[in-house]
Amino acid sequence: MLGMDLIPLLGNLKQQSADWLADDLSALSIAIERLNAMVSSGETNRHDLLNAVAAVKGYAEMLLDSNEAVIAPVRSAIMEITDALTHTTATPEALPAVTRSLETFEGCTILVVDDLPENLDLMSRLLGKMQCEVVTAASGREALDLLDKTEIDIVLLDLVMPDIDGREVLAQIKADDQLRALPVIMISGRQDMDQIIDCIQVGADDYLLKPVNSVLLSARIKSGIERKRWHDKEEQYREQLEKREQFIRQTFGRYISDAIVEEILEKPEGLQLGGDLRNVTLMMSDIRSFTTLVEHLPPEQVVALLNRYLGKMTDIILRHGGTIDEFLGDAVLAAFGAPSRSEHHATQAVTCAIEMQAAMAEVNAENKADGLPEVEMAIALNTGEVVAGNIGSEQRSKYGFVGHQVNVTSRIEDDALPNEILVSEQTLLAIDEGQFIVGDSRTVHAKGMAGTLTVYPIDGVSNDG
Amino acid sequence: MGSSAVLLVEDNDINRDMLTRRLTRAGLTVLTAADGVSALNMMREHQPGVVLMDMTLPILDGWEATQQAKADSAISEIPIIALTAHAMAADKARAIEAGCSEYETKPIDFPILLAKIYQFLEGADT
Repeated sequence: MLGMDLIPLLGNLKQQSADWLADDLSALSIAIERLNAMVSSGETNRHDLLNAVAAVKGYAEMLLDSNEAVIAPVRSAIMEITDALTHTTATPEALPAVTRSLETFEGCTILVVDDLPENLDLMSRLLGKMQCEVVTAASGREALDLLDKTEIDIVLLDLVMPDIDGREVLAQIKADDQLRALPVIMISGRQDMDQIIDCIQVGADDYLLKPVNSVLLSARIKSGIERKRWHDKEEQYREQLEKREQFIRQTFGRYISDAIVEEILEKPEGLQLGGDLRNVTLMMSDIRSFTTLVEHLPPEQVVALLNRYLGKMTDIILRHGGTIDEFLGDAVLAAFGAPSRSEHHATQAVTCAIEMQAAMAEVNAENKADGLPEVEMAIALNTGEVVAGNIGSEQRSKYGFVGHQVNVTSRIEDDALPNEILVSEQTLLAIDEGQFIVGDSRTVHAKGMAGTLTVYPIDGVSNDG
Repeated sequence: MGSSAVLLVEDNDINRDMLTRRLTRAGLTVLTAADGVSALNMMREHQPGVVLMDMTLPILDGWEATQQAKADSAISEIPIIALTAHAMAADKARAIEAGCSEYETKPIDFPILLAKIYQFLEGADT
Protein backbone atom coordinates (compact mmCIF):
# COMPACT_ATOMS: atom_id res chain seq x y z
CA MET A 1 0.00 0.00 0.00
CA LEU A 2 0.98 3.49 -0.75
CA GLY A 3 3.51 4.88 1.67
CA MET A 4 2.98 2.21 4.29
CA ASP A 5 6.71 1.28 4.21
CA LEU A 6 7.38 4.79 5.21
CA ILE A 7 5.51 4.67 8.50
CA PRO A 8 8.22 2.91 10.56
CA LEU A 9 10.91 5.05 8.95
CA LEU A 10 8.99 8.14 9.90
CA GLY A 11 8.63 6.78 13.41
CA ASN A 12 12.39 6.32 13.76
CA LEU A 13 13.15 9.68 12.33
CA LYS A 14 10.66 11.37 14.59
CA GLN A 15 12.59 10.30 17.69
CA GLN A 16 15.75 12.05 16.54
CA SER A 17 14.08 15.23 15.31
CA ALA A 18 13.28 18.61 16.65
CA ASP A 19 9.76 19.00 18.00
CA TRP A 20 8.32 20.81 15.02
CA LEU A 21 9.80 18.34 12.56
CA ALA A 22 8.64 15.38 14.65
CA ASP A 23 5.20 16.89 14.60
CA ASP A 24 5.25 17.28 10.80
CA LEU A 25 6.42 13.71 10.44
CA SER A 26 3.61 12.33 12.58
CA ALA A 27 1.12 14.44 10.67
CA LEU A 28 2.31 12.79 7.46
CA SER A 29 2.06 9.35 9.10
CA ILE A 30 -1.50 10.05 10.17
CA ALA A 31 -2.43 11.29 6.70
CA ILE A 32 -0.96 8.19 5.05
CA GLU A 33 -2.74 5.90 7.50
CA ARG A 34 -6.03 7.65 6.97
CA LEU A 35 -5.76 7.45 3.19
CA ASN A 36 -4.90 3.79 3.34
CA ALA A 37 -7.72 3.11 5.77
CA MET A 38 -10.15 4.73 3.34
CA VAL A 39 -8.83 2.71 0.41
CA SER A 40 -9.01 -0.58 2.34
CA SER A 41 -12.56 0.10 3.50
CA GLY A 42 -13.58 0.56 -0.16
CA GLU A 43 -14.39 4.21 0.14
CA THR A 44 -15.71 5.48 -3.21
CA ASN A 45 -16.57 9.09 -2.46
CA ARG A 46 -14.19 10.80 -4.84
CA HIS A 47 -14.26 14.06 -2.99
CA ASP A 48 -13.26 12.48 0.33
CA LEU A 49 -10.56 10.38 -1.31
CA LEU A 50 -9.15 13.43 -2.99
CA ASN A 51 -9.04 15.30 0.28
CA ALA A 52 -7.06 12.44 1.83
CA VAL A 53 -4.67 12.35 -1.13
CA ALA A 54 -4.31 16.13 -0.98
CA ALA A 55 -3.33 15.94 2.68
CA VAL A 56 -0.64 13.29 2.12
CA LYS A 57 0.76 15.19 -0.85
CA GLY A 58 0.67 18.45 1.03
CA TYR A 59 2.51 17.18 4.11
CA ALA A 60 5.01 15.31 1.93
CA GLU A 61 5.82 18.40 -0.14
CA MET A 62 6.08 20.46 2.98
CA LEU A 63 8.65 18.06 4.44
CA LEU A 64 10.65 18.08 1.23
CA ASP A 65 10.56 21.85 1.25
CA SER A 66 11.83 22.02 4.83
CA ASN A 67 14.93 20.23 3.54
CA GLU A 68 16.25 19.72 7.00
CA ALA A 69 17.30 16.53 8.67
CA VAL A 70 15.04 14.47 6.46
CA ILE A 71 17.28 11.47 5.97
CA ALA A 72 17.83 10.16 2.46
CA PRO A 73 15.67 6.99 2.55
CA VAL A 74 12.77 8.98 4.01
CA ARG A 75 13.31 11.62 1.42
CA SER A 76 13.20 9.23 -1.50
CA ALA A 77 10.16 7.47 -0.06
CA ILE A 78 8.37 10.78 0.29
CA MET A 79 9.31 11.72 -3.26
CA GLU A 80 7.89 8.42 -4.44
CA ILE A 81 4.62 9.35 -2.81
CA THR A 82 4.49 12.84 -4.27
CA ASP A 83 5.37 11.51 -7.73
CA ALA A 84 2.71 8.84 -7.55
CA LEU A 85 0.14 11.33 -6.40
CA THR A 86 1.11 13.86 -9.05
CA HIS A 87 0.48 11.24 -11.74
CA THR A 88 -2.85 10.15 -10.37
CA THR A 89 -4.08 13.69 -10.01
CA ALA A 90 -2.67 15.24 -13.16
CA THR A 91 -4.63 17.09 -15.88
CA PRO A 92 -7.34 18.44 -13.62
CA GLU A 93 -8.47 20.86 -16.30
CA ALA A 94 -9.02 18.11 -18.82
CA LEU A 95 -11.79 16.38 -16.95
CA PRO A 96 -15.06 16.55 -18.82
CA ALA A 97 -17.75 18.50 -17.10
CA VAL A 98 -20.88 16.52 -17.59
CA THR A 99 -22.78 17.89 -14.64
CA ARG A 100 -23.49 21.20 -16.26
CA SER A 101 -24.76 22.11 -19.69
CA LEU A 102 -22.89 24.78 -21.59
CA GLU A 103 -24.36 28.23 -21.93
CA THR A 104 -24.84 29.66 -25.38
CA PHE A 105 -23.76 33.08 -26.56
CA GLU A 106 -25.53 33.79 -29.81
CA GLY A 107 -24.41 36.88 -31.66
CA CYS A 108 -21.14 37.01 -29.73
CA THR A 109 -18.03 37.20 -31.90
CA ILE A 110 -14.89 35.71 -30.41
CA LEU A 111 -11.39 36.06 -31.77
CA VAL A 112 -9.19 33.05 -31.05
CA VAL A 113 -5.47 33.61 -31.44
CA ASP A 114 -3.17 30.59 -31.48
CA ASP A 115 -0.24 29.60 -33.66
CA LEU A 116 -1.17 25.90 -33.63
CA PRO A 117 -3.89 24.95 -36.14
CA GLU A 118 -5.09 22.05 -33.98
CA ASN A 119 -5.66 24.40 -31.06
CA LEU A 120 -7.60 26.80 -33.27
CA ASP A 121 -9.67 23.89 -34.51
CA LEU A 122 -10.39 22.59 -31.01
CA MET A 123 -11.32 26.02 -29.73
CA SER A 124 -13.55 26.71 -32.74
CA ARG A 125 -15.42 23.48 -32.05
CA LEU A 126 -15.85 24.31 -28.37
CA LEU A 127 -17.04 27.82 -29.10
CA GLY A 128 -19.25 26.57 -31.91
CA LYS A 129 -21.09 24.45 -29.34
CA MET A 130 -21.79 27.66 -27.44
CA GLN A 131 -23.11 29.18 -30.67
CA CYS A 132 -20.46 31.88 -30.78
CA GLU A 133 -19.23 33.37 -34.02
CA VAL A 134 -15.56 32.42 -34.20
CA VAL A 135 -12.83 34.38 -35.95
CA THR A 136 -9.34 32.87 -35.85
CA ALA A 137 -5.86 34.31 -36.17
CA ALA A 138 -2.73 32.18 -36.46
CA SER A 139 -0.34 34.87 -35.25
CA GLY A 140 -0.19 38.00 -33.15
CA ARG A 141 0.23 40.16 -36.24
CA GLU A 142 -2.86 38.63 -37.88
CA ALA A 143 -4.82 39.17 -34.65
CA LEU A 144 -3.96 42.86 -34.48
CA ASP A 145 -4.88 43.32 -38.16
CA LEU A 146 -8.22 41.58 -37.60
CA LEU A 147 -9.00 43.68 -34.54
CA ASP A 148 -8.51 46.78 -36.66
CA LYS A 149 -11.28 45.91 -39.07
CA THR A 150 -13.62 43.46 -37.33
CA GLU A 151 -16.06 44.00 -34.48
CA ILE A 152 -14.94 41.53 -31.79
CA ASP A 153 -16.56 40.91 -28.38
CA ILE A 154 -13.90 38.83 -26.64
CA VAL A 155 -10.35 37.73 -27.42
CA LEU A 156 -8.95 34.35 -26.40
CA LEU A 157 -5.24 34.86 -26.64
CA ASP A 158 -2.55 32.17 -26.59
CA LEU A 159 0.41 33.30 -24.53
CA VAL A 160 3.26 31.60 -26.37
CA MET A 161 3.46 32.42 -30.08
CA PRO A 162 6.41 32.88 -32.42
CA ASP A 163 6.22 36.37 -33.98
CA ILE A 164 4.38 38.67 -31.57
CA ASP A 165 3.59 36.78 -28.39
CA GLY A 166 0.35 36.97 -26.43
CA ARG A 167 1.68 39.44 -23.92
CA GLU A 168 2.71 41.89 -26.65
CA VAL A 169 -0.66 41.55 -28.44
CA LEU A 170 -2.34 42.20 -25.09
CA ALA A 171 -0.17 45.25 -24.45
CA GLN A 172 -1.02 46.68 -27.86
CA ILE A 173 -4.75 46.10 -27.31
CA LYS A 174 -4.62 47.82 -23.93
CA ALA A 175 -2.64 50.75 -25.37
CA ASP A 176 -5.27 51.37 -28.07
CA ASP A 177 -8.10 53.73 -27.09
CA GLN A 178 -10.56 51.96 -29.39
CA LEU A 179 -9.73 48.47 -28.13
CA ARG A 180 -8.88 49.02 -24.49
CA ALA A 181 -12.27 47.87 -23.19
CA LEU A 182 -12.19 44.61 -25.13
CA PRO A 183 -12.07 41.66 -22.70
CA VAL A 184 -8.95 39.53 -23.22
CA ILE A 185 -8.65 36.02 -21.78
CA MET A 186 -5.12 34.59 -21.81
CA ILE A 187 -4.64 30.90 -22.58
CA SER A 188 -1.52 29.18 -21.37
CA GLY A 189 0.08 26.18 -19.78
CA ARG A 190 0.39 25.95 -16.02
CA GLN A 191 4.18 26.35 -16.28
CA ASP A 192 3.71 29.91 -17.53
CA MET A 193 2.04 31.13 -14.36
CA ASP A 194 4.57 33.93 -13.89
CA GLN A 195 3.83 35.31 -17.29
CA ILE A 196 0.09 34.98 -16.68
CA ILE A 197 0.40 37.08 -13.54
CA ASP A 198 2.36 39.59 -15.59
CA CYS A 199 -0.40 39.63 -18.24
CA ILE A 200 -3.05 40.25 -15.60
CA GLN A 201 -1.05 43.26 -14.49
CA VAL A 202 -0.86 44.47 -18.09
CA GLY A 203 -4.65 44.28 -18.26
CA ALA A 204 -5.74 40.74 -19.17
CA ASP A 205 -9.24 40.17 -17.80
CA ASP A 206 -8.87 36.50 -17.13
CA TYR A 207 -6.92 33.38 -18.00
CA LEU A 208 -7.48 29.75 -18.77
CA LEU A 209 -5.06 26.88 -18.48
CA LYS A 210 -4.49 24.31 -21.20
CA PRO A 211 -6.13 21.96 -21.89
CA VAL A 212 -9.07 24.29 -21.76
CA ASN A 213 -12.09 23.13 -19.85
CA SER A 214 -15.29 23.99 -21.68
CA VAL A 215 -17.32 24.85 -18.59
CA LEU A 216 -14.70 27.25 -17.33
CA LEU A 217 -14.37 28.72 -20.78
CA SER A 218 -18.11 29.29 -20.88
CA ALA A 219 -18.10 30.94 -17.42
CA ARG A 220 -15.30 33.25 -18.42
CA ILE A 221 -16.88 34.21 -21.71
CA LYS A 222 -20.05 35.00 -19.79
CA SER A 223 -18.25 37.26 -17.35
CA GLY A 224 -16.33 38.89 -20.23
CA ILE A 225 -19.53 39.67 -22.10
CA GLU A 226 -21.05 41.07 -18.94
CA ARG A 227 -18.04 43.30 -18.41
CA LYS A 228 -18.14 44.56 -21.98
CA ARG A 229 -21.86 45.21 -21.73
CA TRP A 230 -21.32 47.38 -18.65
CA HIS A 231 -18.53 49.22 -20.35
CA ASP A 232 -20.70 49.85 -23.42
CA LYS A 233 -23.49 51.15 -21.20
CA GLU A 234 -21.08 53.48 -19.49
CA GLU A 235 -19.86 54.67 -22.87
CA GLN A 236 -23.44 55.34 -23.98
CA TYR A 237 -24.12 57.33 -20.87
CA ARG A 238 -20.97 59.37 -21.40
CA GLU A 239 -22.06 60.13 -24.97
CA GLN A 240 -25.44 61.32 -23.74
CA LEU A 241 -23.74 63.62 -21.29
CA GLU A 242 -21.55 64.96 -24.06
CA LYS A 243 -24.58 65.62 -26.23
CA ARG A 244 -26.23 67.51 -23.40
CA GLU A 245 -23.10 69.50 -22.88
CA GLN A 246 -22.97 70.33 -26.57
CA PHE A 247 -26.60 71.42 -26.47
CA ILE A 248 -25.91 73.79 -23.57
CA ARG A 249 -22.88 75.14 -25.41
CA GLN A 250 -24.86 75.76 -28.57
CA THR A 251 -27.78 77.35 -26.75
CA PHE A 252 -25.72 79.74 -24.71
CA GLY A 253 -22.56 80.02 -26.77
CA ARG A 254 -23.78 82.91 -28.87
CA TYR A 255 -24.69 85.02 -25.90
CA ILE A 256 -22.29 83.98 -23.18
CA SER A 257 -18.55 83.59 -23.10
CA ASP A 258 -17.00 80.11 -23.12
CA ALA A 259 -15.77 80.56 -19.58
CA ILE A 260 -19.32 81.09 -18.33
CA VAL A 261 -20.68 78.16 -20.35
CA GLU A 262 -17.94 76.11 -18.71
CA GLU A 263 -19.14 77.28 -15.34
CA ILE A 264 -22.76 76.44 -16.11
CA LEU A 265 -21.71 72.96 -17.19
CA GLU A 266 -19.61 72.44 -14.12
CA LYS A 267 -22.21 73.50 -11.58
CA PRO A 268 -25.59 73.78 -13.17
CA GLU A 269 -27.20 74.04 -9.75
CA GLY A 270 -25.18 77.18 -9.00
CA LEU A 271 -26.95 79.16 -11.66
CA GLN A 272 -30.55 80.12 -11.44
CA LEU A 273 -31.68 80.64 -14.97
CA GLY A 274 -35.31 80.58 -13.90
CA GLY A 275 -35.23 84.21 -12.87
CA ASP A 276 -33.74 86.12 -9.98
CA LEU A 277 -33.08 89.66 -8.91
CA ARG A 278 -29.46 90.45 -9.67
CA ASN A 279 -27.14 93.39 -9.31
CA VAL A 280 -25.49 93.79 -12.71
CA THR A 281 -23.86 96.41 -14.89
CA LEU A 282 -25.85 96.93 -18.08
CA MET A 283 -24.26 98.08 -21.29
CA MET A 284 -26.05 99.64 -24.20
CA SER A 285 -24.23 100.69 -27.33
CA ASP A 286 -25.17 101.83 -30.82
CA ILE A 287 -23.81 103.51 -33.89
CA ARG A 288 -24.77 107.15 -33.98
CA SER A 289 -27.06 108.16 -36.88
CA PHE A 290 -26.80 104.67 -38.28
CA THR A 291 -30.11 104.87 -40.13
CA THR A 292 -29.15 108.08 -41.89
CA LEU A 293 -25.69 106.71 -42.71
CA VAL A 294 -26.88 103.60 -44.40
CA GLU A 295 -29.96 105.04 -46.07
CA HIS A 296 -28.34 105.00 -49.47
CA LEU A 297 -26.32 101.81 -49.13
CA PRO A 298 -27.43 98.58 -50.84
CA PRO A 299 -28.80 96.05 -48.30
CA GLU A 300 -25.88 93.61 -48.54
CA GLN A 301 -23.45 96.41 -47.69
CA VAL A 302 -25.55 97.35 -44.68
CA VAL A 303 -25.39 93.75 -43.50
CA ALA A 304 -21.64 93.56 -44.17
CA LEU A 305 -21.07 96.75 -42.19
CA LEU A 306 -23.22 95.60 -39.29
CA ASN A 307 -21.70 92.14 -39.12
CA ARG A 308 -18.18 93.49 -39.07
CA TYR A 309 -19.02 95.91 -36.31
CA LEU A 310 -21.16 93.54 -34.24
CA GLY A 311 -18.68 90.70 -34.73
CA LYS A 312 -15.83 92.73 -33.25
CA MET A 313 -17.93 94.07 -30.38
CA THR A 314 -19.32 90.62 -29.54
CA ASP A 315 -15.81 89.19 -29.28
CA ILE A 316 -14.72 91.95 -26.93
CA ILE A 317 -17.85 91.74 -24.73
CA LEU A 318 -17.61 87.96 -24.38
CA ARG A 319 -13.91 88.17 -23.64
CA HIS A 320 -14.64 90.50 -20.73
CA GLY A 321 -17.26 88.13 -19.32
CA GLY A 322 -20.30 90.02 -20.54
CA THR A 323 -23.57 88.38 -21.56
CA ILE A 324 -25.26 89.70 -24.67
CA ASP A 325 -28.98 90.11 -24.14
CA GLU A 326 -29.90 91.40 -27.54
CA PHE A 327 -28.84 92.90 -30.87
CA LEU A 328 -31.33 95.47 -32.10
CA GLY A 329 -30.14 96.55 -35.48
CA ASP A 330 -26.91 98.37 -34.69
CA ALA A 331 -27.60 98.45 -30.95
CA VAL A 332 -26.29 95.95 -28.42
CA LEU A 333 -27.67 95.31 -24.94
CA ALA A 334 -25.32 93.37 -22.72
CA ALA A 335 -24.87 92.73 -19.01
CA PHE A 336 -21.97 91.95 -16.72
CA GLY A 337 -22.50 89.94 -13.51
CA ALA A 338 -25.09 87.43 -14.78
CA PRO A 339 -25.73 84.59 -15.20
CA SER A 340 -22.37 84.01 -13.62
CA ARG A 341 -21.88 86.15 -10.53
CA SER A 342 -18.95 88.53 -10.43
CA GLU A 343 -17.89 91.02 -7.79
CA HIS A 344 -16.30 93.38 -10.26
CA HIS A 345 -18.95 93.56 -12.94
CA ALA A 346 -18.83 97.39 -13.13
CA THR A 347 -15.06 97.45 -13.60
CA GLN A 348 -15.32 94.64 -16.17
CA ALA A 349 -17.96 96.63 -18.07
CA VAL A 350 -15.97 99.89 -18.08
CA THR A 351 -12.76 98.14 -19.18
CA CYS A 352 -14.73 96.39 -21.89
CA ALA A 353 -16.30 99.66 -23.10
CA ILE A 354 -12.87 101.32 -23.38
CA GLU A 355 -11.60 98.44 -25.47
CA MET A 356 -14.71 98.58 -27.65
CA GLN A 357 -14.18 102.24 -28.39
CA ALA A 358 -10.52 101.60 -29.16
CA ALA A 359 -11.50 98.85 -31.61
CA MET A 360 -13.58 101.30 -33.62
CA ALA A 361 -10.41 102.59 -35.30
CA GLU A 362 -9.88 99.15 -36.75
CA VAL A 363 -13.52 98.80 -37.80
CA ASN A 364 -13.35 102.12 -39.59
CA ALA A 365 -10.04 101.36 -41.28
CA GLU A 366 -11.62 98.22 -42.73
CA ASN A 367 -14.77 100.11 -43.68
CA LYS A 368 -12.71 102.69 -45.47
CA ALA A 369 -10.81 100.05 -47.41
CA ASP A 370 -14.13 98.52 -48.49
CA GLY A 371 -15.63 101.85 -49.46
CA LEU A 372 -18.05 101.77 -46.56
CA PRO A 373 -18.85 104.81 -44.41
CA GLU A 374 -16.94 105.33 -41.15
CA VAL A 375 -19.08 104.97 -38.04
CA GLU A 376 -19.08 106.33 -34.47
CA MET A 377 -20.31 104.41 -31.45
CA ALA A 378 -21.78 105.58 -28.16
CA ILE A 379 -21.84 103.41 -25.05
CA ALA A 380 -23.89 103.79 -21.88
CA LEU A 381 -23.26 101.86 -18.66
CA ASN A 382 -25.51 101.61 -15.65
CA THR A 383 -25.38 99.48 -12.51
CA GLY A 384 -28.40 98.26 -10.59
CA GLU A 385 -30.82 95.45 -9.98
CA VAL A 386 -32.57 93.68 -12.80
CA VAL A 387 -34.58 90.52 -13.13
CA ALA A 388 -32.36 88.06 -14.95
CA GLY A 389 -33.62 84.78 -16.31
CA ASN A 390 -34.93 82.77 -19.20
CA ILE A 391 -37.60 84.97 -20.67
CA GLY A 392 -39.93 84.12 -23.50
CA SER A 393 -42.51 81.59 -24.55
CA GLU A 394 -42.18 77.84 -24.67
CA GLN A 395 -41.22 78.01 -28.32
CA ARG A 396 -38.64 80.65 -27.90
CA SER A 397 -36.97 81.83 -24.79
CA LYS A 398 -33.55 83.17 -23.99
CA TYR A 399 -31.57 84.40 -21.10
CA GLY A 400 -32.22 88.12 -20.70
CA PHE A 401 -32.75 91.05 -18.37
CA VAL A 402 -35.78 93.19 -17.58
CA GLY A 403 -36.49 96.02 -15.17
CA HIS A 404 -36.42 99.77 -14.64
CA GLN A 405 -32.60 99.87 -14.84
CA VAL A 406 -32.76 98.67 -18.45
CA ASN A 407 -34.87 101.75 -19.27
CA VAL A 408 -32.49 104.01 -17.31
CA THR A 409 -29.56 102.65 -19.34
CA SER A 410 -31.44 103.36 -22.52
CA ARG A 411 -32.00 106.99 -21.43
CA ILE A 412 -28.30 107.46 -20.72
CA GLU A 413 -27.48 105.96 -24.07
CA ASP A 414 -29.77 108.49 -25.76
CA ASP A 415 -27.68 111.24 -24.20
CA ALA A 416 -24.25 109.77 -24.96
CA LEU A 417 -22.19 111.54 -27.59
CA PRO A 418 -20.45 109.85 -30.51
CA ASN A 419 -17.28 108.03 -29.33
CA GLU A 420 -18.30 108.54 -25.72
CA ILE A 421 -18.63 106.12 -22.79
CA LEU A 422 -21.24 107.53 -20.43
CA VAL A 423 -21.82 105.88 -17.05
CA SER A 424 -24.43 106.36 -14.35
CA GLU A 425 -23.55 107.42 -10.80
CA GLN A 426 -24.22 103.85 -9.60
CA THR A 427 -21.63 102.50 -12.00
CA LEU A 428 -19.12 105.15 -10.99
CA LEU A 429 -19.65 104.22 -7.33
CA ALA A 430 -19.05 100.57 -8.12
CA ILE A 431 -15.68 101.08 -9.81
CA ASP A 432 -12.35 102.17 -8.47
CA GLU A 433 -12.42 105.76 -9.73
CA GLY A 434 -8.65 106.10 -9.58
CA GLN A 435 -8.34 103.41 -12.22
CA PHE A 436 -10.08 105.44 -14.90
CA ILE A 437 -10.07 108.98 -16.28
CA VAL A 438 -13.48 110.36 -15.34
CA GLY A 439 -14.75 113.48 -17.08
CA ASP A 440 -17.07 116.22 -15.78
CA SER A 441 -20.52 115.12 -14.71
CA ARG A 442 -23.64 116.29 -16.40
CA THR A 443 -27.34 115.91 -15.84
CA VAL A 444 -29.69 113.91 -17.95
CA HIS A 445 -33.39 114.68 -17.96
CA ALA A 446 -35.02 111.38 -18.57
CA LYS A 447 -38.34 111.45 -20.26
CA GLY A 448 -41.06 109.79 -18.23
CA MET A 449 -38.90 109.46 -15.13
CA ALA A 450 -39.08 111.42 -11.96
CA GLY A 451 -36.04 113.62 -11.32
CA THR A 452 -32.76 113.73 -13.19
CA LEU A 453 -29.78 111.44 -13.58
CA THR A 454 -26.18 112.44 -13.01
CA VAL A 455 -23.87 110.82 -15.57
CA TYR A 456 -20.11 110.79 -16.12
CA PRO A 457 -18.05 110.29 -19.26
CA ILE A 458 -15.13 107.86 -18.96
CA ASP A 459 -12.24 109.00 -21.05
CA GLY A 460 -9.95 106.04 -20.67
CA VAL A 461 -7.74 104.12 -18.28
CA SER A 462 -5.85 106.26 -15.81
CA ASN A 463 -2.09 105.92 -16.10
CA ASP A 464 -1.49 106.40 -12.40
CA GLY A 465 -4.34 104.02 -11.48
CA MET B 1 -8.34 48.07 5.94
CA GLY B 2 -7.59 44.40 5.09
CA SER B 3 -4.98 42.68 7.20
CA SER B 4 -2.30 40.43 5.81
CA ALA B 5 -3.88 37.38 7.44
CA VAL B 6 -5.18 34.49 5.37
CA LEU B 7 -8.48 32.89 6.36
CA LEU B 8 -8.51 29.19 5.52
CA VAL B 9 -11.99 27.69 5.37
CA GLU B 10 -11.81 23.90 5.24
CA ASP B 11 -13.94 21.28 6.96
CA ASN B 12 -11.51 18.42 6.47
CA ASP B 13 -9.42 18.55 9.63
CA ILE B 14 -6.31 16.93 8.23
CA ASN B 15 -6.26 19.17 5.16
CA ARG B 16 -6.90 22.20 7.30
CA ASP B 17 -3.97 21.23 9.51
CA MET B 18 -1.72 20.54 6.51
CA LEU B 19 -2.47 23.83 4.75
CA THR B 20 -2.21 25.79 8.00
CA ARG B 21 1.27 24.38 8.54
CA ARG B 22 2.40 25.10 5.02
CA LEU B 23 1.01 28.62 4.93
CA THR B 24 2.41 29.42 8.36
CA ARG B 25 5.76 28.08 7.31
CA ALA B 26 5.61 30.37 4.27
CA GLY B 27 5.39 33.28 6.67
CA LEU B 28 1.67 33.95 6.58
CA THR B 29 -0.69 34.52 9.48
CA VAL B 30 -3.41 31.91 9.16
CA LEU B 31 -6.92 32.00 10.60
CA THR B 32 -9.17 28.98 10.18
CA ALA B 33 -12.86 28.19 9.97
CA ALA B 34 -14.55 24.86 9.30
CA ASP B 35 -17.90 25.94 7.88
CA GLY B 36 -19.44 28.74 5.84
CA VAL B 37 -21.15 30.50 8.71
CA SER B 38 -18.04 30.75 10.88
CA ALA B 39 -16.12 31.81 7.77
CA LEU B 40 -18.43 34.80 7.29
CA ASN B 41 -18.18 35.67 10.98
CA MET B 42 -14.39 35.47 10.87
CA MET B 43 -14.30 37.65 7.76
CA ARG B 44 -16.41 40.31 9.45
CA GLU B 45 -14.44 40.17 12.66
CA HIS B 46 -10.86 39.91 11.34
CA GLN B 47 -11.04 41.38 7.80
CA PRO B 48 -8.41 38.95 6.42
CA GLY B 49 -6.44 40.00 3.34
CA VAL B 50 -7.55 36.92 1.44
CA VAL B 51 -9.80 33.89 1.98
CA LEU B 52 -9.09 30.33 0.85
CA MET B 53 -12.51 28.72 0.62
CA ASP B 54 -13.22 25.04 0.27
CA MET B 55 -16.48 24.77 -1.64
CA THR B 56 -18.03 21.70 0.00
CA LEU B 57 -18.61 22.84 3.54
CA PRO B 58 -21.15 21.90 6.19
CA ILE B 59 -23.91 24.26 7.42
CA LEU B 60 -23.33 26.79 4.62
CA ASP B 61 -21.40 25.69 1.54
CA GLY B 62 -18.59 27.69 -0.09
CA TRP B 63 -20.66 29.01 -3.00
CA GLU B 64 -23.40 30.25 -0.73
CA ALA B 65 -20.88 31.76 1.72
CA THR B 66 -19.08 33.52 -1.17
CA GLN B 67 -22.33 34.96 -2.48
CA GLN B 68 -23.23 36.22 0.97
CA ALA B 69 -19.76 37.72 1.42
CA LYS B 70 -20.02 39.52 -1.91
CA ALA B 71 -23.42 40.91 -0.92
CA ASP B 72 -22.12 42.30 2.37
CA SER B 73 -20.40 45.63 1.79
CA ALA B 74 -18.31 45.21 4.97
CA ILE B 75 -16.47 42.21 3.48
CA SER B 76 -17.33 42.22 -0.21
CA GLU B 77 -13.89 43.52 -1.16
CA ILE B 78 -12.01 40.61 0.41
CA PRO B 79 -10.78 38.37 -2.41
CA ILE B 80 -11.78 34.73 -2.18
CA ILE B 81 -9.80 31.89 -3.69
CA ALA B 82 -11.95 28.83 -4.18
CA LEU B 83 -10.43 25.45 -3.38
CA THR B 84 -12.23 22.77 -5.33
CA ALA B 85 -11.77 19.06 -5.79
CA HIS B 86 -10.80 18.48 -9.38
CA ALA B 87 -13.37 15.79 -9.98
CA MET B 88 -15.94 18.54 -10.14
CA ALA B 89 -14.72 20.89 -12.81
CA ALA B 90 -18.14 22.50 -12.97
CA ASP B 91 -17.68 23.56 -9.36
CA LYS B 92 -14.95 25.92 -10.49
CA ALA B 93 -17.25 27.62 -12.93
CA ARG B 94 -19.82 27.93 -10.20
CA ALA B 95 -17.19 29.35 -7.87
CA ILE B 96 -16.28 32.07 -10.35
CA GLU B 97 -19.94 32.85 -10.88
CA ALA B 98 -20.51 33.04 -7.13
CA GLY B 99 -17.87 35.76 -6.94
CA CYS B 100 -14.59 34.00 -6.22
CA SER B 101 -11.63 35.86 -7.66
CA GLU B 102 -9.56 32.76 -8.23
CA TYR B 103 -9.70 29.01 -7.78
CA GLU B 104 -7.26 26.24 -7.15
CA THR B 105 -7.83 22.54 -7.50
CA LYS B 106 -6.97 19.94 -4.92
CA PRO B 107 -4.41 18.62 -4.46
CA ILE B 108 -3.12 22.15 -4.24
CA ASP B 109 -0.18 23.25 -6.33
CA PHE B 110 1.32 25.09 -3.40
CA PRO B 111 3.72 27.51 -5.18
CA ILE B 112 0.91 28.69 -7.45
CA LEU B 113 -1.48 29.07 -4.52
CA LEU B 114 1.16 31.10 -2.69
CA ALA B 115 1.71 33.31 -5.76
CA LYS B 116 -1.99 34.02 -5.93
CA ILE B 117 -2.21 34.77 -2.22
CA TYR B 118 0.71 37.19 -2.40
CA GLN B 119 -0.76 38.79 -5.49
CA PHE B 120 -3.91 39.64 -3.54
CA LEU B 121 -2.09 40.67 -0.38
CA GLU B 122 0.26 42.94 -2.31
CA GLY B 123 -2.58 44.29 -4.41
CA ALA B 124 -4.29 45.40 -1.19
CA ASP B 125 -1.22 47.34 -0.08
CA THR B 126 -1.02 49.56 -3.11
